[in-house]
Amino acid sequence: MTAALEVRDLVKRYAGGFEALKGVSLDIGAGEFFGLLGPNGAGKSTMIHCITGLARPTSGTVKVFGNDAVRGYRRAREAVALAPQEINLDIFLTLEETLDLHGGYFGMSRADRRERTAELLEAFSLTEKRHERTRNLSGGMKRRLTLARALMHRPRLLILDEPTAGVDIELRLELWRYIEKINREGTSIMLTTHYLEEAEQLCDRIAFINHGQIAAQGTIGELTSGYGVSTLEDAYLELVGRQELSRSHIQDAVI
Amino acid sequence: MSAGRMSSSQIRMVSLVRREVNRFMKIKRQTIGGPLLETFLYISVFGAALGTRIHSIDGYRYIVFVIPGLIMMAWALNSFANNSSSVLQQKFTRAIDDQLSSPASPAQLLWGFTLGGFIRGLIVSVLTFLVASVLLSLPVAHPLVLVPSLALVGLFFSIAGVLVGVRAEQFDDVALYQTFVLQPLIFLGGVFYGASLLPQPWQTLTQFNPVYYMIALVRYGFIGYRTANLGLAFIFLALVTAALFGYAYSVFRRGRYLRS
Repeated sequence: MTAALEVRDLVKRYAGGFEALKGVSLDIGAGEFFGLLGPNGAGKSTMIHCITGLARPTSGTVKVFGNDAVRGYRRAREAVALAPQEINLDIFLTLEETLDLHGGYFGMSRADRRERTAELLEAFSLTEKRHERTRNLSGGMKRRLTLARALMHRPRLLILDEPTAGVDIELRLELWRYIEKINREGTSIMLTTHYLEEAEQLCDRIAFINHGQIAAQGTIGELTSGYGVSTLEDAYLELVGRQELSRSHIQDAVI
Repeated sequence: MSAGRMSSSQIRMVSLVRREVNRFMKIKRQTIGGPLLETFLYISVFGAALGTRIHSIDGYRYIVFVIPGLIMMAWALNSFANNSSSVLQQKFTRAIDDQLSSPASPAQLLWGFTLGGFIRGLIVSVLTFLVASVLLSLPVAHPLVLVPSLALVGLFFSIAGVLVGVRAEQFDDVALYQTFVLQPLIFLGGVFYGASLLPQPWQTLTQFNPVYYMIALVRYGFIGYRTANLGLAFIFLALVTAALFGYAYSVFRRGRYLRS
């Protein structure tokens, strides 16, 4: 079965010479829920941008369901979607127009766009606001619309870049339920998050990235045993070299 | 062709243009109303006020002489302003990532952004023309020269607007080109006067201004006033527009300034 994502020896060097990715290789299986964890500046966003065409790889290959992200960008981009960390909605558009135009960019027919727009607005409880401009929405609504926009063209691989950063608890749980549902329905998911609890709850496998390199990857059990610790948080602290912050140390100190 | 029969690629192209038209129509008081008012203020000042002093230029009523240049100026400035602002705004908010991460080809993206300003310029120019025709019975002497010339001028400034928007990092960069490059070139290109009225060396220097040839073509198209070598001017305009499109396409194909 073709992998949802196949990244090989990916290098990204920016114009100033900074190397954000230093030969990353990664596979995400079809239907898998995959977590990519690492500190700020580790290379997560650069990797996501190389996958979605927002950045041009310096060398190496990225394939989305077997389609090269550079040479076969049309098919690769049809298969992938990104819900970015920073809300980047078009302030001139209404909610309905946001989804409709996104569908148009992906070549969806008018009837299909209309049907899918109604379905997603309903699923994310945004139907009542459909004629409002995006700039008038609350933060939580903007976050939901960003996810709905990513899902509009029915991607087979959905990339969620910190989808629950700054949202309230209800919305976080609501988003988790929705993401789990679409994963069960067959969409492969790549999630980046700083909430380790989120990764534990949702991900089948996790990769740690730091300084532009994959430091470790596997199931939570494989990661913890690899680092010789008992929790994902401790494994992460090993990755970033901040073991002194481990709760077990703090508890020991208190006792 | 009905929407149902359009290919994915055609739907994509139409959607990219729809987004741009949607943007300026949402703020039409500023993008259509403002420029129309501005053009009619020029007509009032130069036609009604100056026109009483300058009765004619080379046998043409002054106001009739001026209006073709004003129509061209409206198309040029609106195309440029629209596209440079639209692209820069989308870059600022990163909303442009929605188009950039879609399967749209570099050429489709370039055409999508270009046609937005082109259509806005077309609307302002056509409305100006219609009102001017009713008020002054403006002639159209050579439509076969006028329509392609105006379209090329619109296209040239639309592409230039996209390029400036793509390269700009702040709104000041856009204003810089508009205020210090475009407006002087257009004003000194002979919108309000014929080059023959200028003393030397300005008369010769004007001939190095590309906008002078654009105005010459458009004025000939409207009122039949012949100045420069118009055949050569048209070929020059077509070549320069094609070269600018070629450069813009290479920028989009390589993703410079747009993709990191």
